[in-house]
Amino acid sequence: MKSRKIVCRCEDITEEEIIHAIEEGYDDIESLKRYTGATTGACQGKGCLMHILRILSQKTGKSPEEIGITTQRPPVNPVPFYVLAEGEKE
Amino acid sequence: MRVAIIGSGIAGISLAYFLARSGIDVVVFEKRYPLYGASGRSSGGITLQFDKPEFVDLAKESLKIYDRVQSEVGFNFLYRHDGYIKVARNREDLEKLEKEVRVAKTKGVKAKIIEPEDVKEFVPDFNPDAIEGASYSEGGVIFPWPVIWGFAKGCKEMGVEIKKMSEVSEIIIEKGFVKGVKVNGEVYKADYVVNAAGAWSNEVSSLAGVGLDNRIIKEEVCVSESLKPYLDPYILDVSTGVYLSQSVRGEIVGGILGSEVEKPETSSTFEFLTKYAKRASELIPKLKGLTILRQWAGVYDVAKDEIPVVGLTSVSGFIQFNGLGKFGMCIAPALAKELAILIIRGENRKIEKFSPLRLKIHH
Repeated sequence: MKSRKIVCRCEDITEEEIIHAIEEGYDDIESLKRYTGATTGACQGKGCLMHILRILSQKTGKSPEEIGITTQRPPVNPVPFYVLAEGEKE
Repeated sequence: MRVAIIGSGIAGISLAYFLARSGIDVVVFEKRYPLYGASGRSSGGITLQFDKPEFVDLAKESLKIYDRVQSEVGFNFLYRHDGYIKVARNREDLEKLEKEVRVAKTKGVKAKIIEPEDVKEFVPDFNPDAIEGASYSEGGVIFPWPVIWGFAKGCKEMGVEIKKMSEVSEIIIEKGFVKGVKVNGEVYKADYVVNAAGAWSNEVSSLAGVGLDNRIIKEEVCVSESLKPYLDPYILDVSTGVYLSQSVRGEIVGGILGSEVEKPETSSTFEFLTKYAKRASELIPKLKGLTILRQWAGVYDVAKDEIPVVGLTSVSGFIQFNGLGKFGMCIAPALAKELAILIIRGENRKIEKFSPLRLKIHH
């Protein structure tokens, strides 16, 4: 069996798939996120964003600073509806 | 003939597709990246139920276009047509739904008013006590991301260039005729420039010296963790503006209909999350235990009279394709098809009522 290097565990994405997407033209981090689904799973990028950044940097020759990271969106950790609903008066 | 389109959302990209298919030379300028604007932030609700009859026709036609284009370009738009339920919490809102159902029926759309208890037929965990009544009609939910990628793929295969990080800084006009655009310091010649810039359309229009006074609406959306298939139809609560549906990835995607802002901005608020969580769990109490993973906001534009702004302007070659409001994903492809015919053949078959010339703008 071919060895697979998983870079996004939530969405089950391999390094090879990320490279393929970059080669298809999804070569900025926001487009790459949307096309592959990386950083949008249960971990919200905590486990995969740096891998994605590294691969994108290696493939495009741009520095991580130049590439930047995806917009970080709240909440930091998942919050249940019932907790949030308590915050709503009336 | 060369057409420069500003904006790669559903309006701009579907217009590029139709023009390119007729052999027109098209270039699309996107100030950030495709999906940065409203199309990339939409929850993907597709309804055929409107108070305006012309919207029903456009939505029906747009669905046919989605169906055809996804096979033409070999891309699955992930359209799940499990129906669209609108619920009303009071008598007055229910009357609006009754009107929409009458309009839908005259257009041959399957739509009906249902009792609160009957919503459970479609959503077993629904709480009928929260509402006064509901409507059920054809429709469902589409995934806007593959829609844009699919159209973009088709465009690229036909030679259309989609230039990202390319904000138009100038629209070049000589003696009342459009000559091209300036982007990142470079001049691109064009016979037509189309303003499909969504929430940024007012700014683009002013580059051409053409008045446009669309309102800008900001809307917040969020997603939950993924579940097995649980929620079939798209649900919109017309009394609170809360909507939710389940994506093909299993997340519950939901939001609250937006409100007007002065400038396009996409910050997220905690107030939205608490309000959404409370209202949504009133409708489906079992959602209470579900967790929210991520929230975001999007901006779209709507004309003051809430009718899309599509067609020729006082500057020859400058074309508006904006003001689609919250219905961009529902109606843009059909408008794009007609606008392409207007640009190529000068024929205005079905979109005269959307003409920008109707707007009385004071400079």
